[in-house]
Amino acid sequence: MASLDDPGEVREGFLCPLCLKDLQSFYQLQSHYEEEHSGEDRDVKGQIKSLVQKARKAKNRLLKREGDDRAEAGTQGYESFSYGGVDPYLWEPQELGAVRSHLSDFKKHRAARIDHYVVEVNKLIIRLEKLTAFDRTNTESAKIRAIEKSVVPWVNDQDVPFCPDCGNKFSIRNRRHHCRLCGSIMCKKCMELVSLPLAYKLTSASKDSLSAHTSPSQSPSSVHGSRRGSISSVSSVSSVLDEKDDERIRCCTHCKDTLLKREQQMDEKEHTPDIVKLYEKLRLCMEKVDQKAPEYIRMAASLNAGETTYSLEHASDLRMEVQRVYELIDALSKKILTLDLKQDPPPHPNTLRLQRMIRYSATLFVQEKLLGLMSLPTKEQFEELKKKRKQELERKRILEREAALESQRRLEERQSDLASRATNGEVASLRRGPAPLRKAEGWLPLSGGQRQSEDSDPLLQQIHNITSFIRQAKAAGRTDEVRTLQENLRQLQDEYDQQQTEKAIELSRRQAEEEDLQREQLQMLREREREREQFQAASLHTRTRSLDFRDSRPFQLEPGREPRTHLAHALDLGSSPVPGSAARKTPSPSSALEPSRVWSGPPALGPGFLPQSITSQHSEVPSLNPFDEEDLCSPAAEGAASPPVAEPPCDSAVRAHKEYNPFEEEEEEEAVAGNPFTDPDSSVPSPFDEEDECPHQRPSGPPVPGNPFEEALCTNPFEVDGDSGREGEEPIEEELLLQQIDNIKAYIFDAKQCGRLDEVEVLTENLRELKRTLARQKGGAH
Amino acid sequence: MNVVFAVKQYISKMIEDSGPGMKVLLMDKETTGIVSMVYTQSEILQKEVYLFERIDSQNREIMKHLKAICFLRPMKENVDYLIQELRRPKYSIYFIYFSNVISKSDVKSLAEADEQEVVAEVQEFYGDYIAVNPHLFSLNILGCCQGRNWDPAQLSRTTQGLTALLLSLKKCPMIRYQLSSEAAKRLAECVKQVITKEYELFEFRRTEVPPLLLILDRCDDAITPLLNQWTYQAMVHELLGINNNRIDLSRVPGISKDLREVVLSAENDEFYANNMYLNFAEIGSNIKNLMEDFQKKKPKEQQKLESIADMKNIKRLLQNPKVTEFDAARLVMLYALHYERHSSNSLPGLMLDLRNKGVSEKYRKLVSAVVEYGGKRVRGSDLFSPKDAVAITKQFLKGLKGVENVYTQHQPFLHETLDHLIKGKLKENLYPYLGPSTLRDRPQDIIVFIIGGATYEEALTVYNLNRTTPGVRTVLGGTTVHNTKSFLEEVLASGLHSRSKESSQVTSRSASRR
Repeated sequence: MASLDDPGEVREGFLCPLCLKDLQSFYQLQSHYEEEHSGEDRDVKGQIKSLVQKARKAKNRLLKREGDDRAEAGTQGYESFSYGGVDPYLWEPQELGAVRSHLSDFKKHRAARIDHYVVEVNKLIIRLEKLTAFDRTNTESAKIRAIEKSVVPWVNDQDVPFCPDCGNKFSIRNRRHHCRLCGSIMCKKCMELVSLPLAYKLTSASKDSLSAHTSPSQSPSSVHGSRRGSISSVSSVSSVLDEKDDERIRCCTHCKDTLLKREQQMDEKEHTPDIVKLYEKLRLCMEKVDQKAPEYIRMAASLNAGETTYSLEHASDLRMEVQRVYELIDALSKKILTLDLKQDPPPHPNTLRLQRMIRYSATLFVQEKLLGLMSLPTKEQFEELKKKRKQELERKRILEREAALESQRRLEERQSDLASRATNGEVASLRRGPAPLRKAEGWLPLSGGQRQSEDSDPLLQQIHNITSFIRQAKAAGRTDEVRTLQENLRQLQDEYDQQQTEKAIELSRRQAEEEDLQREQLQMLREREREREQFQAASLHTRTRSLDFRDSRPFQLEPGREPRTHLAHALDLGSSPVPGSAARKTPSPSSALEPSRVWSGPPALGPGFLPQSITSQHSEVPSLNPFDEEDLCSPAAEGAASPPVAEPPCDSAVRAHKEYNPFEEEEEEEAVAGNPFTDPDSSVPSPFDEEDECPHQRPSGPPVPGNPFEEALCTNPFEVDGDSGREGEEPIEEELLLQQIDNIKAYIFDAKQCGRLDEVEVLTENLRELKRTLARQKGGAH
Repeated sequence: MNVVFAVKQYISKMIEDSGPGMKVLLMDKETTGIVSMVYTQSEILQKEVYLFERIDSQNREIMKHLKAICFLRPMKENVDYLIQELRRPKYSIYFIYFSNVISKSDVKSLAEADEQEVVAEVQEFYGDYIAVNPHLFSLNILGCCQGRNWDPAQLSRTTQGLTALLLSLKKCPMIRYQLSSEAAKRLAECVKQVITKEYELFEFRRTEVPPLLLILDRCDDAITPLLNQWTYQAMVHELLGINNNRIDLSRVPGISKDLREVVLSAENDEFYANNMYLNFAEIGSNIKNLMEDFQKKKPKEQQKLESIADMKNIKRLLQNPKVTEFDAARLVMLYALHYERHSSNSLPGLMLDLRNKGVSEKYRKLVSAVVEYGGKRVRGSDLFSPKDAVAITKQFLKGLKGVENVYTQHQPFLHETLDHLIKGKLKENLYPYLGPSTLRDRPQDIIVFIIGGATYEEALTVYNLNRTTPGVRTVLGGTTVHNTKSFLEEVLASGLHSRSKESSQVTSRSASRR
């Protein structure tokens, strides 16, 4: 490979870089590549691989010669060994070695020389111009001669007895001729002629370039050579007898030489060979590929990961475009390869080699770049991918939420610990008193872990699938299918609900066994929690409650108990979760007093709403993951058997204890999910978790009382919030802020949909800013 | 300190500076080798260099749509070729780079030839050596000395090569040389002279510890190139011969056209890169089969003999008909070098055995030539030191214990030298500094140059030193890179064998007298 000579055999065309199979066209190569090697590592550099193969083949060959024939040699794998330490290959980068330029010296020397040369050429051109300035054909010889003599002084005949070029003696038969350009004398044999067309060509160009050529040292007098010597006005006899020069100008070989060189230069300047034109086009194409291919690869990678940042159509358009450029490169380089191939005097071998090498490098280029050009998913595949990613994201979010929950809890603990240490013993213990109760209840729903397992429930997955099918069918306008699917969905949900109720009856212990590692960790934490709870519950009874907490605590406990009483009918009523969400949304503990008011809303929207709501949601927000999630969740909020029991007290208590916690949480949550609906809930993670559970918890009879559809429409969960918690000026400002946040979120979503990434960035920044202010304000207010 | 990278950077810079468009690279015979060591064809094609021409090629066509990058050694003939080229330019524009210092008068005559103003650049880029590995360079000179002294032409080439190396790495070193070698001293002086003369070029940012150039002579260790070298790279070189990272396989019968010449380049051959410094027993697990092949081909006893330890079996071995002429001669050479002054030296007897075996005159002569070349008389240091005896015993014991790797029992002498150098213990009376100043600290950047050629085994030694001693970077160079055959040629070319007859007679006479 390193051979700098012409490679013995340059294999042409579309060779597969991995198996060196010759495929006739671009498309064949591509399809071959996708079929045969799609599974292989795309980073493999074909070139290198083939080299390794070559070298290995050579080794094998060598071995065979050495005696034994062994067929399987070369198939063994090998590993690299390492000695540790610093490999010379990994020595730190070094700068370019020393260099020294001679250019200024060179130019100085050249300038002196060039001046001389240029002056000479220009002088000739100027004279030539004068010699051709008049109408030679219609002027008589004598007059022409007179003009010619006026242009340059002719050398005296007597001064030159021999031809200076060939050395022959001048005589009557070997007459003297004068160069019209420099005035020197030569014999007829040594005389050259400049045709008029050539003269015109040279002089016409000189008119523009002359000025460019002049240089400061140029002064006509300084350059007079001896040959152009003495001034003489005596007309030579020989010259008079010459035939008339109407079509040409006589000159010496030296002048002619200079003129011809000049002509050649002019030709080269104007002439661009075909290969150059083609080559320039080829390079343009390559640049285009270099520009577009990375863009495409970015898109394809994103799409293949199931992201929705780019649109599939756009990407496939771009792919087409890149492919077209590849084809063009192929065509151009092929054209270069066969350039002038059929010309009669065949081109110089070097020209052919150049053409071959250009073709070869273009082929290399295409091969190499083609490897990186991953394929796009089909529409169906893409849907699949999107779904997968969605699930992935959901799982991730749940994990994050869990983590957030845990960290919050830890923080809480620390806070309470701190508080206990800070205040006197009694207050501390009192403070601690309610905490265990709240915590215990907060843990009752078995927050994240449980849901996670449910998420991976096949039934739930099926429900997910069907909902997305419904969406697709809706989009495709297939109403009958939608109907059957909805029927399916309902059945599934019924079944799931049954399952869930059964599950709900069985306690968390059983579930813990089924759950994965994280769950186990949580379990351990829970265990610890329980211990503490017992201990503290004991202390709670023995001690009196603190003054400042006494008022609020009953309320907090109340909603906690209330759901419990509702528990039985919560299963079929489905309205009980709303208190949870309402309490959740209420920024201050006091609002927990009026949960009932909040619940009154949802049930009104009423039963029988389910099919519609689901479908309509889907049609409204086709590809909006967060929303989908939301509709799956929010209706569910109703049914949750155990969760709501614990959650409201937890929520309010948390707030009572540590106001800023929720906001911290919120920021985190939002940054991750970017879901407008999550943030109000996210202030308390556990209730939100509960939402995930909802679709299954939905009672079989009257479906979906809490109307997610409405929520999706207004995109502002805080309207509900506003109803429930009227709290004066602060909340209003907050509301404004929140509303703004929501709006921005909507913008972000919109921008994402249209692929305006830069806008998304700006908006996200705005959003963050707003949230920060909100947090600050809230922090200050409480 | 990466020499491959240093040269590569020069070439890349040339190509970059010429801008976009189709290009031709005009080179001479030597620079062609230099460039091909660091750039692969496909790499260079990507940079729009499509043609590679020799400046002395008469068959070049006028292609005014190409830009010419000339990378030439600053030799008289190259300058003449270039002058002709500029008078009648074949390409649109010329970027001229000389691989070393060029005289002002040459620049002037070039300038005067450039009447058409086609030259856009004239520079010196000091890529004037063959970069074999990142830490190994060669000058591809075979037969650098006549007798004990430099061939003047080769001395100047070597000086150029070494100074170019220093410039390309931007090192202005202190110089130490092997006192016992006149050639080493001469080279050291020449390098110093250039540094003094071109002091402007050698003005680099001062490092805390100045770099060190250590000049050695092959004759100090004639053993290493005589032993089979058991690293992959060394073995390929030993058995096939590597020239500019290229292996000529054209003599392999029935080999296909594209395999006539295989390039072994660590940059492109992953296997090669991973294994080139592994000694063979280690590679064994990777290409065990390859190993077995060699074992089948060679008699078992001989492999054991590759270690110097059990040289005494030589006699028995010489009678083994399987041992080739060349290997037999080699054994005797090793024996002769080792037991040159030994009281019970039985070299004459061994020589007789060689003759009886039918070993040709040429090889038998070489035995004495090698002794002359690398015998004790010329060695500045004790190659077979007393410590060596202990070491040999140790090795022998190890061998009995079944050390897996009997193939690399031999440590090249260079290892010890460098070890001492790094620890600051290298004796100044054996390796004096050139000039008054000496290095107070331990050296950090070391350039070792071996007149008469380095070996791949020594390259391995340096490689391992680099890996095991943090903070020390060592680059090894030689007038060439030897295998046994080329080393013997080197010995032959030094012309010592012509005089060696008498001297060997002296040796044998004195031996027999005892």
